[in-house]
Amino acid sequence: MTEPITRRIDPKLLAILVCPLTKAPLRYDAEKQELISDKAGLAFPIREGIPIMLIEEARRVER
Amino acid sequence: MSDSSQILVFDRSQVRRQRDRAARGFAAHRPLFDESGEALAERLRDVKRAFGTALDLGAHTGGMASRLTTHGVPFVVAADMSIGMARQASALAVVADEEGLPFAAESFDLIVSNLSLHWVNDLPGALAQIRQSLRPGGLFLAALLGGATLYELRDCLMEAEINVTGGVSPRLAPTIELQTASRLLLRAGFHLPVADQERVIMEYADTKSLLLDLRGMGETNAHAQRPKHFTRRRILRGAARLYEARYSGGEGGIKATFDMLFLHGWKNDRPQQGAISSGTHN
Repeated sequence: MTEPITRRIDPKLLAILVCPLTKAPLRYDAEKQELISDKAGLAFPIREGIPIMLIEEARRVER
Repeated sequence: MSDSSQILVFDRSQVRRQRDRAARGFAAHRPLFDESGEALAERLRDVKRAFGTALDLGAHTGGMASRLTTHGVPFVVAADMSIGMARQASALAVVADEEGLPFAAESFDLIVSNLSLHWVNDLPGALAQIRQSLRPGGLFLAALLGGATLYELRDCLMEAEINVTGGVSPRLAPTIELQTASRLLLRAGFHLPVADQERVIMEYADTKSLLLDLRGMGETNAHAQRPKHFTRRRILRGAARLYEARYSGGEGGIKATFDMLFLHGWKNDRPQQGAISSGTHN
């Protein structure tokens, strides 16, 4: 199975997304397709261009 | 529904799983959503102002978002807890929980929610976050199930369960009354809040069809204290018999009541005093 070309997240959408827990801005990691909340220590995945902004789906990252 | 209670009434992960399961076949179970969606669109057409950015909150497959695009809103985001639902939306999709909105303050001119907020544990908190995500002068418009929704099913399930087991366990979601919704809207700091109710009666061939439709809508029980074992067949069979005897519809079928509560409120243009602080997540 070939990986489809990553659907890019819309920049206007990216501009208004914040961490659902802290409401702090997010850092976009284009390579990993993740939105990182440094304050909460959470990385939210982007799948098929859709940001998954659920705490239970987020990956824990070092603060 | 108590607005200060810390008890979790709904299992949000269960709400999400139910929506995930319902996502694929949702198109066949949309009539109720289309009914309220059209009512919301009608209300929107009565509003004499243009909106630049809008959010369809609890969008399911984005039916309301499409209506907003048709209405002429250039930037529309569809947010749902289920990726299976959200990916079907034609608008920009986000997977998000109404209890923890991932949107910056003052992001939208308009937030619409079609039949989703009745699954929220902390409605005051969700309303506060919604208001915070609105720009000054922005509008919040929502339809949610409440009042006497599914009272027939509730009644029959309860009686059948008493007949079989001698006791009662929670099988259907608790509902919110219009007055409570209205009060919460005001308390969340919305300007010119209006809440009203419309009753929709749906007809089904039998109780089984009603239950299948509820499942197809993703609207079955997500009560946190629901019985973990499957509802016993005897209870269901008993409930179906009672239902079909008591609440027959027009042509040999049954009827089911859905009370839709419509909420409507503005965010003031200028800073407002007395509004509840919405920074509860810090």
